[in-house]
Amino acid sequence: MDIGLLAQHVMNGLMVGMMYALVAVGFTLFFGVLDVIQFAHGDVLTVGAFTALVTFLGVRAAGVGSGPILLSAMVVVSIFAVAALGMLIARYLVLPLRTAPALNTLLITLMLGTVLRESVRLFYPQGANPKPFPALLPTNSINIGNFNLRLDNTIMLAAGVMVIIGVELLLNRTKLGLAIRAVAQDEETARTMGINFLAIVLVAFAIGSGLAAFAGIMNGFYYNEVNFGMGLYLGVIGFAAAIIGGLGSIYGAILGGFLFAALQTVGTVALPFGSAYKDVFAFAVIIIFMAWRPTGLIQEKISERV
Amino acid sequence: MTRALKAAMAILAVAWLAAVVPAEAKDKVKVGFIGPLTGGVSANGLGGRNSADLAVRLRNADPKAKYEYELVVLDDECKPNVAVQAATKMAAERDIVAAATHYCSSTAIATVDVYHRFGLPVVVWGAVLPDITYRNKYPEVHRVNGTMINQNDTNAELLTKLGYKTFAVIHDTTDYGKGHNEYFSAALAKRGGKIVGTFGVGSDQQDFTAELTQIKALNPEVIYFGGLTPIGVRIRAQMDKLGIKAVFDGTSGIVSDAYIQGLGALAEGTLAFREGAPTDKLPGGKFFMEKYAAQKYDNPPEAYGAFAYAAMDLILDSIEKVGPDRRRVIEDMAKVENRDSIIGKITFDDHGQNTVSLITKYVVQDGKWVVWEDSEYASGKRKLPRQK
Amino acid sequence: MLPGVVAQALATLYLITLLAVERQLLIIGLLGLAVIAVLGAYWLGWLDPVNRSFADREDVLGVLALVAACAVAAFFHDNHFLLLLIVTVVLYTVATLGLNIQFGYAGVLNFAGASFFGIGAYTSAVLNAHSAVPPLLVLLIGGLIAALVGSLLLLPVLRTRGHYAALVTIAFALLLKAFLEVNDVLGGPQGLQVKGMTIRGWAFNDNIELGNVELSFYMNYLVLSLALLAVAFILVRRLERSWIGLNLDALRLDETAASCFGLNIVRWKITAFTLGNFLIGIAGALFGMVGGFVAPNNYTFADSLILVSILLLGGVGSPWGSVVAAAIVIVVPEKLQTIQEYRFLLYAVMVIAVLLFRPEGLLPRPARNYFPGWRP
Repeated sequence: MDIGLLAQHVMNGLMVGMMYALVAVGFTLFFGVLDVIQFAHGDVLTVGAFTALVTFLGVRAAGVGSGPILLSAMVVVSIFAVAALGMLIARYLVLPLRTAPALNTLLITLMLGTVLRESVRLFYPQGANPKPFPALLPTNSINIGNFNLRLDNTIMLAAGVMVIIGVELLLNRTKLGLAIRAVAQDEETARTMGINFLAIVLVAFAIGSGLAAFAGIMNGFYYNEVNFGMGLYLGVIGFAAAIIGGLGSIYGAILGGFLFAALQTVGTVALPFGSAYKDVFAFAVIIIFMAWRPTGLIQEKISERV
Repeated sequence: MTRALKAAMAILAVAWLAAVVPAEAKDKVKVGFIGPLTGGVSANGLGGRNSADLAVRLRNADPKAKYEYELVVLDDECKPNVAVQAATKMAAERDIVAAATHYCSSTAIATVDVYHRFGLPVVVWGAVLPDITYRNKYPEVHRVNGTMINQNDTNAELLTKLGYKTFAVIHDTTDYGKGHNEYFSAALAKRGGKIVGTFGVGSDQQDFTAELTQIKALNPEVIYFGGLTPIGVRIRAQMDKLGIKAVFDGTSGIVSDAYIQGLGALAEGTLAFREGAPTDKLPGGKFFMEKYAAQKYDNPPEAYGAFAYAAMDLILDSIEKVGPDRRRVIEDMAKVENRDSIIGKITFDDHGQNTVSLITKYVVQDGKWVVWEDSEYASGKRKLPRQK
Repeated sequence: MLPGVVAQALATLYLITLLAVERQLLIIGLLGLAVIAVLGAYWLGWLDPVNRSFADREDVLGVLALVAACAVAAFFHDNHFLLLLIVTVVLYTVATLGLNIQFGYAGVLNFAGASFFGIGAYTSAVLNAHSAVPPLLVLLIGGLIAALVGSLLLLPVLRTRGHYAALVTIAFALLLKAFLEVNDVLGGPQGLQVKGMTIRGWAFNDNIELGNVELSFYMNYLVLSLALLAVAFILVRRLERSWIGLNLDALRLDETAASCFGLNIVRWKITAFTLGNFLIGIAGALFGMVGGFVAPNNYTFADSLILVSILLLGGVGSPWGSVVAAAIVIVVPEKLQTIQEYRFLLYAVMVIAVLLFRPEGLLPRPARNYFPGWRP
């Protein structure tokens, strides 16, 4: 196959993989800290994307026309708003249920996801229609043979990489990160050592949800469109990616995200009906993988009280 | 039991019976409307609903009308399964005498059997798939707008005349998109155009980079799109992202203000075709536009509003003539010949299909759908992509 | 037994009233009345004798429930739409009973309930269109195929627990919908039309005429659905009371302890999962024929969540709860047109409320009655 074509497929895969990785990191962070799967994460992403859209419309209506200001306003407002939402969810829906069977938490967050999704659909004007997302990044592109390298895609990819590295550094080089890792490893001992459990949980949820908002904005810029159902799909894939990579491991989550995107790209390129079957192929591989390695590539350390 | 208790129970029983036994039907006649009120093509559905509502209002305001009409509106979300549920609900309710149904072809073709099963006369106002009236000979199903055969013929004719030789086809996998693919391919083959690749996509697909990357490698001059506005917008936008330079050639499915709103400047130079004259040039066009504006609806009538109005008007005429009885309305509709309406004279053939022979060619110019002959592209002042 | 009979009679009358009334204000009033009446009965302690009579004389009360259903159907004998609604409630209850065996008794997570429902429906579509298999056999085959496809998931389901298991069935739900949509052989996004049943020349899709009275053709399907519900209900109750049910409960409550006692975990999980899918498949096959139309959009992950909501609302492991919950979840949005658009949102909020404040559901599963009717 033409090298330019291959490069284009790879670029597409990288963009999509970056978004999956960002969502997967959120899942893994929540699991590490509270042993809980927050199924509403994907729909939190949708809320983030729509918040950005609303911010854009609001700021522009207030008379501001400058691209960079609009962009920064969107990103900042959306990330902070969604981080706050994440903290609320943690405080009032997830923490109270820590003692209940894990199934209940799973079900509640699943239903919460539905609530968020339906709220966007019902309460945003004409929410059921896909909404155009502004194109605020420069759209210059270079054509190298069959490969079209666009500036906005490159910027987003670079931004995504920096965000991931930032989270990486936060978790491994700062005291806050040390506290988060301590709570993830052993909650009781961490509390004994003086770590404020509640604060750390809230911060972890804030970080994870902020990442989701960033992914949502990226998704909006990439497709120039947001719709109320975008989160469900991304959420399930992010969850699958986090599991493939091994729950509780940040590297695993990132790996899982790109792996899933690679699976989809391989499916598109290799299968005769290409993109139609890419989801079927990717999900089938996930199910087979779960049969082979039920706890993911980087094994979760489980101990159970009998 | 004390007498008070017995009396109370008697009163309760009577009240219960009164609530439960259906009340006497007043002289109010119910007619129905089904269209996509939510979802990607809701602009067309809402425009159609408003137009049908206008027809009912004008008729109710008419002192010569024998009955008072009530419009029952259901949403089919442009999804076949929702449409079947809505159609079943509407057809199963015996009070509803007739209905104007469906903009989306995928929904209209799925529901014909339901209307036939329950014997509800319907007039389709926006769906263009020929099979809707021609696959079976159901006396219940009629249509006032034209079918897609003619528009695809005109489409192929114009593009080959402009000198384009290589085409790629993207169509959605519902019966609507597949129909467009079939008729356009046939029309193009007759005129010597070459189709370098055909791609079927999902009607709510998000990511077209796979198909478009392959199309880029095939390098066609024109990309023909058989589908509706939501994915039309996405495909056109992603074409630009991948740096594909080709004419974006669509069908009546994208003739909608929502298409231009979704794309902004990228919509420039898109071609599309629709049966029937532009609304203001219809025989009753000015009348319709005036009355529509007077009602101050939230949404414009869009491309098929006039047809929805004509469909509902036809139904109301029939009911006025033979009374609110489904069977008699079906018999009357079989005899519709040269009936006056705002879209011209309506005649139903033996399959209930009205003939609309005029096809209007549209091109997007400066953020508006402009009739081709009036545009600067036809006169040569502007050029379409890769036009010689 | 009398309290149970009275409760059933009142419920039947209430249902008839609710279904017959059209005016929105009256409906809201009726719903409010029901909530107040039930809460009032609970506080006055009137619900305990009802519970006891259900526990003691379930067989008689079950038959009476069937009679009540027939009474409701007779009242609306020519109303197509209401009969269709009742058939929908009955078949969703059967599907929930299947889910109950998996979730409620064995603790096997299944978030793809609607997918198996859909497999049954597609089977009936294909078989009715392309072969001359007798319709009742089609139903059975629908169930078998659903169970068979479910067995593909057995290995991942057996090897995973908790959220990993959830992922397996969720991934399957998405996979099946995507597969049905891209696959043209099974109709693609346009779906397939399903022909109605004909048993020995009695066409199910034709209205029945008895003298001067015309009965809606949905009556045929209603009778068949009620028969199916009766069989499924009896099956589930007998299963629960039997040693199989005992094993499933042990398995659900503590897998490690159960295996220490020698229970074959693998065998019982397989049994529960397969049997549940079989029931769901049969219900789906019949529902496909009733609706006359199958499309991938009918069987999405969101619809699976609705089945799970019904199960949770009624009470996990409680068949009577499933009946009541299915009736609420399906009838109320249809009657209360104003909330129809908001119904998914309301289901989700309802389930969250139930999980936070009353996790056992509306009709919690009673403690196991080892010797029915025994009094100390």
